[in-house]
Amino acid sequence: MDRMPGWLRQHLAALRAVAVLTVLLGLVYPLVTTGVAQALFHHQANGSLVEGGHGSSLIGQSFTDADGNPVRKYFQSRPSAAGDGYDPTSTSAGNLGPEDVIDTPDRKSLLTQVCTRSKAIGELEGVSGARPYCTPDGVGAVLKVFPDKAVSVNQACPAVPFVATYEGRRVECARPGEDYAAGRTVPVRGDATAVVPADAVTASGSGLDPHISLAYAELQAPRVAKERGLDQAEVERLIRQHTTGRALGFMGEPAVNVLELNLALDRS
Amino acid sequence: MSTTLAGMLFIASLIAAVALVWKPFGDHMYRVYSTTRHNRAERVIYRLLGVRADAEQSWGVYARGLLAFSVVSILVVYGIQRLQDKLPLSVGMKPVTDHIAWNTAISFVTNTNWQAYSGESTMGHLTQMAALAVQNFVSAAVGMAVAIALVRGFARRKAGTIGNFWVDLVRGTIRILLPIAFVGALVLVAGGLIQNFAGPHEVSTLTGGTQAITGGPVASQEVIKELGTNGGGFYNVNSAHPFENAATWTNWFEIFLILVIPFSLTRTFGRLVGQVRQGYAILAVMGVLALASVLLTNVFELSGNATVPQAVGAAMEGKEVRFGVSNSATFAAATTLTSTGAVNSFHDSYTPFGGMMTLVNMMLGEVAPGGTGSGLYGMLILAVITVFVAGLMVGRTPEYLGKRIGAREIKLASLYFLVTPALVLVGTAFAMGSAEQRASMFNSGPHGLSEVLYAFTSASNNNGSAFAGLTVNTPWYDVALGLCMVFGRFLPIILVLALAGSLAAQAPVPAGAGTLPTHRPQFVGMVVGVTIILVALTFLPALALGPIAEGLS
Amino acid sequence: MSTPVLEKRRVGGGLLDPEQMIRSLPDALRKLNPATLWRNPVMLIVEAGAVFTTVLAVFDPSFFAWAIVVWLWLTVIFANLAEAVAEGRGKAQAATLRAAKRDTTARRLKSRAATEWDVVGAPELKQGDLVIVEAGEVIPGDGDVIEGIASVDESAITGESAPVIRESGGDRSAVTGGTKVLSDRIIVKITQKPGESFIDRMIALVEGANRQKTPNEIALNILLAALTIIFLVATVTMQPLAIYSKLVNPGVPDSLALNADGVTGVVLVSLLVCLIPTTIGALLSAIGIAGMDRLVQRNVLAMSGRAVEAAGDVSTLLLDKTGTITLGNRQAAEFVPVDGVSEAELAEAAQLSSLADETPEGRSIVVFAKQHYGLREREIHGAEWVPFTAQTRMSGVNFEGREVRKGAATAVMKWVRDAGGHPTDEVGHLVDGISASGGTPLVVAEKGRVLGVIHLKDVVKAGMRERFDEMRRMGIRTVMITGDNPLTAKAIADEAGVDDFLAEATPEDKLALIKREQEGGRLVAMTGDGTNDAPALAQSDVGVAMNTGTSAAKEAGNMVDLDSNPTKLIEIVEIGKQLLITRGALTTFSIANDIAKYFAIIPAMFAAVYPGLDALNVMRLSSPQSAILAAVIFNALVIVALIPLALRGVRYRPSSASKLLSRNLYVYGLGGIVAPFIGIKIIDLLIQFLPGMS
Repeated sequence: MDRMPGWLRQHLAALRAVAVLTVLLGLVYPLVTTGVAQALFHHQANGSLVEGGHGSSLIGQSFTDADGNPVRKYFQSRPSAAGDGYDPTSTSAGNLGPEDVIDTPDRKSLLTQVCTRSKAIGELEGVSGARPYCTPDGVGAVLKVFPDKAVSVNQACPAVPFVATYEGRRVECARPGEDYAAGRTVPVRGDATAVVPADAVTASGSGLDPHISLAYAELQAPRVAKERGLDQAEVERLIRQHTTGRALGFMGEPAVNVLELNLALDRS
Repeated sequence: MSTTLAGMLFIASLIAAVALVWKPFGDHMYRVYSTTRHNRAERVIYRLLGVRADAEQSWGVYARGLLAFSVVSILVVYGIQRLQDKLPLSVGMKPVTDHIAWNTAISFVTNTNWQAYSGESTMGHLTQMAALAVQNFVSAAVGMAVAIALVRGFARRKAGTIGNFWVDLVRGTIRILLPIAFVGALVLVAGGLIQNFAGPHEVSTLTGGTQAITGGPVASQEVIKELGTNGGGFYNVNSAHPFENAATWTNWFEIFLILVIPFSLTRTFGRLVGQVRQGYAILAVMGVLALASVLLTNVFELSGNATVPQAVGAAMEGKEVRFGVSNSATFAAATTLTSTGAVNSFHDSYTPFGGMMTLVNMMLGEVAPGGTGSGLYGMLILAVITVFVAGLMVGRTPEYLGKRIGAREIKLASLYFLVTPALVLVGTAFAMGSAEQRASMFNSGPHGLSEVLYAFTSASNNNGSAFAGLTVNTPWYDVALGLCMVFGRFLPIILVLALAGSLAAQAPVPAGAGTLPTHRPQFVGMVVGVTIILVALTFLPALALGPIAEGLS
Repeated sequence: MSTPVLEKRRVGGGLLDPEQMIRSLPDALRKLNPATLWRNPVMLIVEAGAVFTTVLAVFDPSFFAWAIVVWLWLTVIFANLAEAVAEGRGKAQAATLRAAKRDTTARRLKSRAATEWDVVGAPELKQGDLVIVEAGEVIPGDGDVIEGIASVDESAITGESAPVIRESGGDRSAVTGGTKVLSDRIIVKITQKPGESFIDRMIALVEGANRQKTPNEIALNILLAALTIIFLVATVTMQPLAIYSKLVNPGVPDSLALNADGVTGVVLVSLLVCLIPTTIGALLSAIGIAGMDRLVQRNVLAMSGRAVEAAGDVSTLLLDKTGTITLGNRQAAEFVPVDGVSEAELAEAAQLSSLADETPEGRSIVVFAKQHYGLREREIHGAEWVPFTAQTRMSGVNFEGREVRKGAATAVMKWVRDAGGHPTDEVGHLVDGISASGGTPLVVAEKGRVLGVIHLKDVVKAGMRERFDEMRRMGIRTVMITGDNPLTAKAIADEAGVDDFLAEATPEDKLALIKREQEGGRLVAMTGDGTNDAPALAQSDVGVAMNTGTSAAKEAGNMVDLDSNPTKLIEIVEIGKQLLITRGALTTFSIANDIAKYFAIIPAMFAAVYPGLDALNVMRLSSPQSAILAAVIFNALVIVALIPLALRGVRYRPSSASKLLSRNLYVYGLGGIVAPFIGIKIIDLLIQFLPGMS
């Protein structure tokens, strides 16, 4: 060893170090941890599977039929960007920015997505789906303003623009294929107030969010109760039962576990 | 309780927890790095490594050992990824594409943990635990070793050596990271994280669809990913994934793990230089910057000032219901203030100024409190630059902790703070100058620019988080970002070690009334100012065309 | 040597004369040569930018472009002007010195014993040559007097018109070439090498001909270079981002600041010049030159800038007691009569014995008697003076039958006993008491009886205690060096308020003390004049040799004080500190300035594409063009405005580092942030009416 040049000894040590540490940290450590975890926390270590094997209480699911329409007797989860929705092998967030307000031929803007979801949920729950910055037909209320005119860019012709005039300019619908990039972008707030809660119209970070807000659950309660012929109070009680409050009273937000709630409904 | 109050209590409880362990844990690390005794396991390891544990090394030898170790690590991680289908526990994964494997190998060895891949569809279990998680440990230990070497430079007098790299590496791993990781992993499993070796298994959902519930040694990797400020998630969506971050309190615990070493190292620093108050001063600088950043991020996210959040009613896009806006913002600040880069919510969909805070946190050089080790050495470099300007203003050759900051020291420190901004800006400029690379942007306008700026900021600062909209698994981005990660990690390390060597060789100057006191609020304020101004001055044009333009529209 | 008056002369400098600026203009223009400018990377970049924008303006002229071009060139010229003005002051001094360096001839002796000489030109003299110089002749070169004594007029180098005595042997043997012998005749052994005379070196120093950058200056230059590079990177890499931003906002028309090719060259250069630390870059060398110049104004010659900087770092100051801390002579402080003798009687005898005593001690007794006992000096005739000799160790007078003596206790007591007297023990007690308090007792006796004891005391110069308190606040430890016994030394040290003393000091002790301090990491400053001080002067970090001293001492030290005033050391330390403070303060100011410039230029460049960015235009500047031009003009004018400060140095008051920093941070940090907001706004208000500004 000692006859070896210093630099070579360093490299040999490096090689050995990687090998030794890989065995220790890459094999021994996870194996021992797994062993202990399996012994102590078997349920959690294996994915917190629910009774009946219909998934994991930690992984959200879509409660839609084969065509993607909501199954009315179930509480609905949030929108998901994971694969085709709640796909644990393709987790993802929406990743659109807070000023993503103009639709392109390739994709809808985040604003339009929000407006469309809000409108759909409003219709499903029988409440107003209106939101600020949304047109009545459920797209982003955004104008491109030119010196002589304004264009409601997310409303393709022949749609009727959500306002007739803007600062004296006539507002037109957007002619498909026309380039409106040169105009000044003006999102129009309108005077709507949203009834549909925030989490209902936004995709979660994981795409697997197992929870919805208490507000969204309560919005859905009348429909589910009616669909199942249950007393709404009973549904409300189940919602409370499957609501996780803030840990220690201040960590996180109260959240309703949708799968567990739906399972409980099925059981009752 | 209101959301805001709960969010503030969440932050306060984290501060309290870090404050509680700061002293005992910092003292523990002090003993780890200063004792001359080796325990039995370590003696066995040194024998296996073939190194003389009691031989001190000059900075050059120390740096060569570190680089050799890192090169071998890159090759091994690359190799395992490319051969994973031939190895056990591949759970059906194919070999990783060459440019992604290269990028990933560098990413994990440099403590960046940038993910150009999607974990659940790319990496087998063995790759995750024997290649990636191993680097989570050792890259963190390397960072701490460099920080300790620099501190030794300040503490020693007329010394030719700065410690022994192999000893620092092994001790940091065995005595600090591994015990916490083991206990922490079990805590996380109790909270709902999975820890098994199963592949995905299909279940039928309530409405008759199918869903693949994934398996894997997640908890054991999650814990070190946070503790070592690595950030590379088992899954694509990282700590937003319920199997990586199941509950509101695991979220708290993970943030605590992220912060505990970088903050506590300031205590270790104070002990090693024999002046605990110097540790308090550095802690104060980090604390002021971190608290300001966390609060600002919370304010921006909670007020939700942008068109979509206004339409939605809250900045909930890309955030989990269980965490809510505030705790997500706190996590985002913690992960970018350190070199972690784990995310529990998606920064791309943050409000313009909330997203900008995560960018700015990284641009600060990740010093508040920064990565394991890298935060401390980065902050000490800033202290050196501050001392230089401030020291001149008191009419003496500047000195920090008794060591003179002369031409050689300032040359090394200047180069250090040149490297990362240059990488960030040059990388961003190249990407933005090419229509082909711009096509990777998911968002348009200033937000698209922010995505590219974020990618290069994250890679060059070894953070690893992303404005995840950008498509980065292209050969060009894999190579460019890979280069940023390598240079952003090892050039500063070499400069820091050289500085350590140069400081160690000096005889300390005794402190007197004419010496600039570096433990008072005055100095703390100056370091904070220098840190912010250096960043603001360098990155303001780029920020103006990205998040600021977006936020002020 | 005039007795130094310890007035509170603070480090300050001459006022800046506007004429000086005009006189230095040709020099400033000459310095535009890139070959000269390359030493200053910051200004070199500005000049490159000026050339580039000139070319752009020629091909695409507009009032705005030309205005920027002019002000960029002015920026470089202002920077050169600062340096030229600083150098100009040195040149004036060099001219005076050159006048003294007339070509003289020398009478060179063959050997010391020889009586013949040959006449050679002064430049031909070599080391070791012996020359003879008589009254009215100019000494041809630096050397030591080896024979004779002469009064010499050294006003050519010191500016002091009173002649000084130079004699062979001892510590007053050094003579300087170019000075004039007024009386007598001396033989001088030449110690200089041809062309390296003291005057030659002085000229080189004050002209800054071979000015070396000092360690801190080098370090600061590195930092400034790094900042320059980072801003260069920041501005250049902004271009693709700007092009992209313009591209995604196709509706925005091209402007003077931004078009499809990105930010226009003129604006990009303007931004770069405003961001790089031009203020400190422009003034850095002027600060250094002016620092040396301030020393020269105090008649101190520093052999290197390094020594001046080191002076600021000094943490231990070795001060000779005699001449520095005390007035140099002991003085009568008290008359203590023995029992049965009145004070007045003693005073009268003491005065009588000292009337003819021309030693300082003797004079002080007469003065003390007059001040405290109202005894006028009197002319006495027919008195027989008994002078002091080494054998008798006493002096006195025989007058009108009285025999009065004063002197060392043992000698006077013996004289009393020999005359049949019986001095009591009381005298012994008095003598011991005075010795114990650090004073010197002189016993006064009159024929057979002891009258009492005169208490001679070292008199500490007025204001020394305050000075040393200041030093302590600055973190500098003062150590008094004296040949006195420890008891005496301690008493004086206590009275003067020094931190420590070294008693019965030999040159070896001194050297050992310096080494010990340096071992602990402290920098040591000292003064010295004797040949035996040379090793200690060489060892100390700042060694100030007295001009009256030997050439060995002058060679060993790294500064020479032409006034030979040991108190000067304190001022040197202050100048050293002030030099560093000025650099640090202007660096801080320069960097702090950038914030306002960003707020001026970024909205000016990009508010067209992103109107929201106009919110950053907090100064509400009237138009993008005027905003950019105002920033560039401010950037140039601030250099001119700060030239006086650079030359004079930042105000320095001795205080703790912490207080100093607070003050300078407040003035130059906060001031540096605020000043440009105001300045740019005012300039904008003035220039908004120019053509092309809207």
